[in-house]
Amino acid sequence: MLKELTTFFKKIVFWNQEPDSPVLESAEVDALRLTFKSRFHSFKLLLATNSRILEAMADMERALQGNESFSMAFVQARCTSISVNVFRMIKDMENIAPGKYSALRDSFVAIQRQIDALLGQKKQLTDKRLVIPLTAVSSDMTDMVGGKMANLGDVKNKLNMKVPDGFVITAAAHEVFMSADGLQKEIDRLFQVAGSDEDRNLDLVSSQIRQQIMSAEVPESIYLAVVDAYTQMKLQNGGQEIRMAVRSSAHGEDAENSTFAGQYRSELNVGFSQFFYYYKQVMASKYSVQAITYKFNRGFRDEDIAMCVGCLAMVDAIAGGVIYTRNPLDTRDDAIYINSTWGLPKAVVDGNDLCDLFVVSRDDALTIQRREVREKGFQIVCYEDEGCIRTETTGGRGNLPSLTDEQVQMLADHAVRIEQYYEMPQDIEWAIDAGGNISILQSRPLQQMISMMPGEDLNLQQFAPSLLVEGGINASPGVACSTVFKVAKKVDILQFPDGAVLVVEQALPTWAPLVARAAAVISEQGGFAGHLANVAREFGIPALFGVSGAMALVHNGETITVAADLGKVYRGCIAPLLEWKRPEPKLMMGSPVYESLREVSRHIIHLHLLDPESRDFIPKNCQTFHDITRFIHEKSVQEMFSFGKDHSFSERSSKQLHYKVPMNWWILNLDDGFVHEIKGKYVKLEDIASIPMLAFWEGFAAIPWDGPPAMDGAGMTSIFFKSTMNPALVPGLRSKYADRNYFMVSKNYATLSSRLGYHFSTMEAMVSERSEENYLGFKFKGGAADFERCMGRIHFIKEILERYGFRAVVNGDNLDARMEGHDMDFMYSRLKILGYLTLHTRQLDMIMGNSGLVSHYMAKLTKDIDLLLSM
Amino acid sequence: MEKQRGFKVLLVDDEDIFREATARQLTVRGFNVLTANCGEAALPLVQNENPEVVVLDQEMPGMHGSETFLEIKKINPLVEVIMLTGNTSVENAIELMQQGTFDYLMKPIDINELLYKIEDAYTRKKLNEEQQQDVGL
Repeated sequence: MLKELTTFFKKIVFWNQEPDSPVLESAEVDALRLTFKSRFHSFKLLLATNSRILEAMADMERALQGNESFSMAFVQARCTSISVNVFRMIKDMENIAPGKYSALRDSFVAIQRQIDALLGQKKQLTDKRLVIPLTAVSSDMTDMVGGKMANLGDVKNKLNMKVPDGFVITAAAHEVFMSADGLQKEIDRLFQVAGSDEDRNLDLVSSQIRQQIMSAEVPESIYLAVVDAYTQMKLQNGGQEIRMAVRSSAHGEDAENSTFAGQYRSELNVGFSQFFYYYKQVMASKYSVQAITYKFNRGFRDEDIAMCVGCLAMVDAIAGGVIYTRNPLDTRDDAIYINSTWGLPKAVVDGNDLCDLFVVSRDDALTIQRREVREKGFQIVCYEDEGCIRTETTGGRGNLPSLTDEQVQMLADHAVRIEQYYEMPQDIEWAIDAGGNISILQSRPLQQMISMMPGEDLNLQQFAPSLLVEGGINASPGVACSTVFKVAKKVDILQFPDGAVLVVEQALPTWAPLVARAAAVISEQGGFAGHLANVAREFGIPALFGVSGAMALVHNGETITVAADLGKVYRGCIAPLLEWKRPEPKLMMGSPVYESLREVSRHIIHLHLLDPESRDFIPKNCQTFHDITRFIHEKSVQEMFSFGKDHSFSERSSKQLHYKVPMNWWILNLDDGFVHEIKGKYVKLEDIASIPMLAFWEGFAAIPWDGPPAMDGAGMTSIFFKSTMNPALVPGLRSKYADRNYFMVSKNYATLSSRLGYHFSTMEAMVSERSEENYLGFKFKGGAADFERCMGRIHFIKEILERYGFRAVVNGDNLDARMEGHDMDFMYSRLKILGYLTLHTRQLDMIMGNSGLVSHYMAKLTKDIDLLLSM
Repeated sequence: MEKQRGFKVLLVDDEDIFREATARQLTVRGFNVLTANCGEAALPLVQNENPEVVVLDQEMPGMHGSETFLEIKKINPLVEVIMLTGNTSVENAIELMQQGTFDYLMKPIDINELLYKIEDAYTRKKLNEEQQQDVGL
């Protein structure tokens, strides 16, 4: 681009001096003026569109870093916006150079086809069964029955452990349900309407979608298949009615890297008369606020997730809980952790109450290493008819162990066998009925974490005066410091500030959407086996549960440090502890949404057309949208420049800037860039109306240049060496164009190609009242010194530009900096900086080997710029 | 004080609240705004009031936006039309531009973006008119 621009500026500067230019009739001149005006209008539209495309590409590149969550709607919206804008650019290019670049349309169509194919990809189900009995389910059927039921199928059918009878309503049924009466289309529409405001409208969108699902009729084919499966179960039960547990088993749920712990609904103790109501409740829970948030944070595509539903005979448990076959908080600990409570295991996973913990060693005897029997004030039990209730434990059982030693060891034995089968640590939900039978209700991969804390080497005594509370349960390890925000009611969610410490009374799954936004979580209740603890670990957020009286101990806005590994909370910020902070997990990386973006970006962002002077710089070789926009931008500038020459139209010739003396700056007026039409050879600064050019010039001329920096011997040698390699750099051999600088201007637009000394730079700016369309682009390349020194200067300039809000990237030895969307005043100030830097970074490459001089110039330049901005 | 742009813009949309609110915002920004609640009502306004730019909803009961667009172009080929659409697909957007609409905007619209598009469409119309006059049409 730099070389190309220079070449064209050269041409335009001298074309009007050719003696044989024909003389035009005034009617022809009028026509040419009009044509030029029309093309310039298209050129302006094209530039604004190009800027929007680059902005959308920058959004995509930011997202590809994997640090922030984004949805499929983001990917689709960016792709659509870029595609449509590229098409706009092609149309505008056709106005600028009619019929000349028609091959661009073919390239566009080919690229768009590839993007459409990628975005339209969807798993196709081959198995069309709507209901499958659990006896026929195995772990290779995840696509049909979801992860939870596929795992349970293996426990039942391969490990022959006791699992309740039941069946699964499949992914094929989900497809039938969602496609009936255009339900899925309506849901897609609701998401689309929410658009980029999805976050703000989340409650509303979630509620609308769930209502749509709840008011939909269950298709007859599903109804009949379910009735048939239930009738079979009933027959095997001697004709007795069976109460059911209706459980979500969605795609992605209970997978190795994503658990969806507690994100979907499960309904317990359901009579068959109410079955379809609860089936729809589970289906609708795919769109609960917490499930949508989880999917968003973990990069799942809505279209990839079918809600399969497991229907199991209800176990009327007298005790239940969760086994971790290893310590989730410490990879070095291979003991088995059994969390248990009275009644249904729901009390453990919901995190409402404290539960017992039995730690069993993995020796042959399965020795119980530790028993932590806690006050279990409440239990969840089945109602006689239907449903469940949380009720107080009676008869003094609250303080008694919920398991006998024998039961603990039997459970540990189950745990070892299941882990051996899956060859990885497991998180297992279980229940024991009145007959003492153990049923397995769920088994999913358990993620283990490595403790970051240095253990005994850490002298905690020094922080003792700041200690606020100690003794909670480490639910998710790590250290964090932030301000407190207490959440007691659902409505508090709306006020939760990003990055605060979430303090709650109960570790309920309801709070899961806040976890990803929190610095840490403290809960008065709950243990490390609950859903919220799972979610905290998944997102790498420190969590300390079972902190008695936490809500009263801390105050909103107070700064605290949570050290979950140590079970301690401190007042204020304990900086030494923060050294043990866990690195943030890049949860988007590798997710389906991330992969979709990565795939489409290959057809959008990658740039193959690099050299405008190459023979390969042709429309046919545009492989990506970026290639097309690069090509069009390059050619549109050329077309605008060559218009005068191509049409023998001398009016659009360049003028030499007269600023005190004639300068080596040449200016081509595109439209309204001069205050009035200039007749002679020179144009004075007061004749310039171009806002961006004036801003640039103000910065350029504000502070006199001190001259070349004092050079050390090595810097000088590097120039001599480079000069011998590149004759263009030897002053005596340089072409007459070498020190010329060329502006192309209108009132709100300017592009500059400059060569001062041995470096090239280009600046392009649109600055008008339309803040949304304003942009600045700055490219810098080259230098006289060796490559390292030139790169040193590139990074030196990059650092300064970033300090003042530019987005800068270095590609090879090119610096490319941009900013957009600011108002005129701000853009004006930044153009002054570019003007200043264009002059004052001259020959600074020479001193890049001397760190003292680099620091000196960094301090000088930033001081000058701050002064410049205050003028 | 907003600058007075003075030229006529016809806004055609069947959603009363949207149409009235948008018309108010455009009027405040200095446009001379005419409104119609359907394609059928828009055509006589194009014929008699000679608007410079038409902002046209694509999805309307009765005469569809695309059909209205073709009829408007029959009455005055030089009038520039900006289409409003609720459909985000690339095919739809490109089809609209292929047909000769100046540009399209997704609902819900950003009022500043609409304002810029109207200004750009107006400039384009004036340039096209001048060029036509120049070649003696």
